[in-house]
Amino acid sequence: MDALLASAGPLKQRKSRNSGAPKKRAPDHSHKSVSRGTDKESIDPSLHSILPKTRLPSSYHESNLATGSSSAPIKPDASVGRISDKKLRAKIARQDVSAKQAKVQRDEVNEWLNAPLAGGTGGIEVDEEMGERTWRVRQEEIVQEVGVASGSKKFDLKMEGLGSYKLNYTRNGRHLAIASAHGHVATFDWQAGRLHSEMQLKESVRDIKFLQSESMYAVAQKKYVYIYDLNGVELHKLKQHIDPTHMEFLPYHYLLTTVGHAGYLKYHDTTTGTMLTQIPTHLGSPHSMAQNSHSGIIHLGHANGTMTLWSPNMTTPHVKLLAHRGPVTGIAVDPSENSAGRYTATCGMDGTVKLWDGRMWGKEVRTWGMRNASSSLAYSGRGMLAVGGKSGVSVFRDVEKSSSTAPYLTLPLPGLIASGIAFCPFDDILAVGHGKGISSLLVPGSGEANFDSAEADVYESYSRRREREVRSVLEKIRPELITLDTDFLGKVREDKPQTFEEREARSYRQLNRMERLRAQGEEVDGEGGGVNGEGGEEDDEDGEGGEDGGRKEKEKRKMRGKGGSMKRYLRKKKKNVIDPSLLAMRAKVAAQRQAVDTQRKIASGDIVKETGALARFG
Amino acid sequence: MKIKMISRSLDDHLPSSSTDPHPIQRNLAPHLHPFAKPREYTRALTAAKMDRMFAKPFVGALGGHQDGVYVLGKDPRRVAVVAGGGGDGEVIVHSLALRRPLLKIPNAHRGMVGGLCWSAEARDGKRGLISCGKLDGTIKIWRSEAFAPGIRDKEVFEGNEFGSGAGESSQAVLDTAGAIGESGFDMDFEEEAGGGLSLDAAKRDLLGKNLEPSMTYTSKNGFNGIDHHRTDPLFATASNTVQVWDEGRTAPVSTLAFGSSLETVTGVRFNQSETSVLASVGSDRTLCLYDIRTGKAERRIVMQFRSNCLSWCPTLPTVLLLGSEDHNLYTFDIRNLNSPSQIYKGHVGGVMGCDWSPTGEEFVSGSYDRTIRLWNRDAGKSRDVYHTKRMQRVFDVTFTPTADFVLSASDDGNVRIWKSNASAKIAPMSTRERQAIEYRQKLVDKWSSSGDVRAVKERRHVPASVHNTVTLKRDMIEAQKVKEDRRRKHTRAGKEKPKAERKKAVIAEQKEAGGS
Repeated sequence: MDALLASAGPLKQRKSRNSGAPKKRAPDHSHKSVSRGTDKESIDPSLHSILPKTRLPSSYHESNLATGSSSAPIKPDASVGRISDKKLRAKIARQDVSAKQAKVQRDEVNEWLNAPLAGGTGGIEVDEEMGERTWRVRQEEIVQEVGVASGSKKFDLKMEGLGSYKLNYTRNGRHLAIASAHGHVATFDWQAGRLHSEMQLKESVRDIKFLQSESMYAVAQKKYVYIYDLNGVELHKLKQHIDPTHMEFLPYHYLLTTVGHAGYLKYHDTTTGTMLTQIPTHLGSPHSMAQNSHSGIIHLGHANGTMTLWSPNMTTPHVKLLAHRGPVTGIAVDPSENSAGRYTATCGMDGTVKLWDGRMWGKEVRTWGMRNASSSLAYSGRGMLAVGGKSGVSVFRDVEKSSSTAPYLTLPLPGLIASGIAFCPFDDILAVGHGKGISSLLVPGSGEANFDSAEADVYESYSRRREREVRSVLEKIRPELITLDTDFLGKVREDKPQTFEEREARSYRQLNRMERLRAQGEEVDGEGGGVNGEGGEEDDEDGEGGEDGGRKEKEKRKMRGKGGSMKRYLRKKKKNVIDPSLLAMRAKVAAQRQAVDTQRKIASGDIVKETGALARFG
Repeated sequence: MKIKMISRSLDDHLPSSSTDPHPIQRNLAPHLHPFAKPREYTRALTAAKMDRMFAKPFVGALGGHQDGVYVLGKDPRRVAVVAGGGGDGEVIVHSLALRRPLLKIPNAHRGMVGGLCWSAEARDGKRGLISCGKLDGTIKIWRSEAFAPGIRDKEVFEGNEFGSGAGESSQAVLDTAGAIGESGFDMDFEEEAGGGLSLDAAKRDLLGKNLEPSMTYTSKNGFNGIDHHRTDPLFATASNTVQVWDEGRTAPVSTLAFGSSLETVTGVRFNQSETSVLASVGSDRTLCLYDIRTGKAERRIVMQFRSNCLSWCPTLPTVLLLGSEDHNLYTFDIRNLNSPSQIYKGHVGGVMGCDWSPTGEEFVSGSYDRTIRLWNRDAGKSRDVYHTKRMQRVFDVTFTPTADFVLSASDDGNVRIWKSNASAKIAPMSTRERQAIEYRQKLVDKWSSSGDVRAVKERRHVPASVHNTVTLKRDMIEAQKVKEDRRRKHTRAGKEKPKAERKKAVIAEQKEAGGS
């Protein structure tokens, strides 16, 4: 027995309560118990010598790495400390540290592998001292300067008399869908120059959007939204979407979002074909719509100058702000690395472009004027902002950092209005839709060079596309997870209870019987019997007041003197029903009133109260 | 003026031939992977659902008993052999791999079988089955060639002149033990009666009927439990005292009791690491520790309720598991017996049997409420619960030595085989499948503390009787706590302090006077 106890070593030492005297450090030679006197347990130093080194192999320690960067050790988030369950806390802390470690490693991979691959950031470099300016560089000069392969990406499709064009790229930037106001719709692989479908719908078309891939696209037509397949065959007519003006597709949630002249924001699940929700905006026909590709929040710009932020989970906007003095004509959300959905740009008919920070909607970050009556906005993968309007497009660089209003590049379209603009993902292209067709323009340095094949593959094959579609449907995010705060999921909740109910919450054991029944979900009917007011009063007198917490107050006590449960009872009782209890009650009330009246009169001196021996006879 | 634009070469991005895989380019920057958390959560939820979808833990039932099966005797050295002892004194040695009895001994005892264990010889063929009777007060050692079918090599089977001690050859046999004859591949070779696999049922029954015990020990008292020493030819029995027997002697080597206690001892187990240490539980609500070298009881604790079963952790030598009549299981660190190190709550009937997995990380328990529960050592809630309509009160459970399966013996006369991981796949798996399963498992682990993943992961269907009892029990405990609260409220402040749940379990720790 003793051998067993000895071989097993001592118990884990308890935390000593009196930490007054500094402890001696256990010597490093291990496997020899250190005795702490007769009455205390001995310490096995091996345990504590091993522990700190078991986390990470020493070759992985920062100080031993070739980089030699001795950054601070990774610690779990402070919020983890709020978890009261010890085991759970340890688990979450471990996960948090490993997630942070993974992030560091990911950053290193990107730094060492992807940066050389990209060959720098790309863009136009000019000699500022010689008076050269990037915005003076014309498209012809760019085409001359870059290679033939890049130069051929600049093209114009001339289609006159078909109205102004809207356009949309697939997420990998490979395919382009165009739709003219008069009903000309086409989709094509612009790199290979392969036309998928082209049709003349012969009715007005207001918007076009690809769904999860190039194999399906939705067109907002005169009356309804229609869905077509790759070959232009009509698949669905979405009759619930009446008179649509703008559309967005949330690819990870498989939600087609439309808004029409009636101002109803509608979410349609394209995997099941059911309408998820329709929310009235109460702000009329919107002038612009955009999605935040990092949070799934829909931005709407309205005629009265407000911008509203929506999710399918709330019937009211998450954020509603007055962006412009005049209709908001364009909205774009920055998806680039620095912003990741944080910055939003808006332009309005008041001739200004404003930049908003998603962490603080109270005031815009920047505002500047545009003289081209800007009507459309687009952000590129590297955070360049294109402002389209009358007679051309201006592209701005580093809008949230710099304060100069000089554009990075100007792309003039004399006599035309840029009605729809879109940057091509993973390429340095800006496509502009206007009254005479579409133009594909070169904007060096605008696109994200390194794509991720698992996310959006520019060279996606047919089989890989099929696989991706199946996988992405399996991973379809539930619409309830669309939140303004993208970090919300999996966060440790705030320590302090937030709502009144939570603050006042008692444990199940502390509840009384009625509350327990309610907590178990059983309906409690007729809780107070007939005389609601009386019951409540009695409870108050008990001093416990347990039942009153959950009960809804039937009538508000607004006017002075009208309160009192008895009076309320009399008031509510039907006047023409005479029963003895009511009569008794009335008599009681009358007596009370008279008593009060007498008291008042005595106080004011109207009645002189008898004093002395005869006073008792009244 | 210098202009740089994105220009990609098709050579880098398209497969060089039609059979080549598509080239993959990765960019791990987070802004290219939006909704990372919701997507992972969704994946975790799907994984949790898939796990529940594939959860089919029941493998099969081993029948043949005429009465309920009340004890199981697992051969710790062999994977696929287990003996079951019935209420009518019948002992059946089952083969898990063949899913049929290897030998039936119909009248091993008069009345109920009290305990079963295997002797400690290194060779499968030499090992004997030790059974004890609950009513007839006998212990019998059975040796038969049928216990290790398929061993044809006489030398291996019976041993050489050096006997059954340790040796390289015996080690070799030990290593292949369990594999011989039980793989199901060489089912059809002919052999004389007793050793072969092709033995038909009638022959086997005849063999079992005529089998005489190689050793019989008698006592005035019936035996409630038996356990064999890990290596030596010693075994301990539980009657009204704990007796230690030598296989070669007819009288007990020593009789162990705490003081002059003569209460019934219901279970006894040898420690697996410090093999001379012994623990027993008794109907006087005690757990008692003995050392057979000193021949004394060392110490004991008196608990609130009586323990029905006990098991020593195979990897942590000081950890002892008790299954109690109060529906809970307790682990004790025997260095600190005044409170259990963990209470495991979940059963709604007395725990009748418990056994550690060979890793010592988890254990299984069987209960009178007709369910089996699987537990992790560090969690107080069960990780899984198994039941079937036909399974009655469970009286004994055991892990197989590979930790893949769990066996249960119940009142209805069947020994059931369950998977120890309900959704595990038994068939061979490709690497990709295994990776996918591991990834899913990790995801569920990561998100198991939140939201729907937790709900899906922890939800178990239990029989209505268990479900109703759970609610009833919860109400009763709640009422008790309310009462305690009220009582405390009306006593002088500080007089009645709430007692920790762990402190409640143990009433007293006693040391034998004069014990070391």
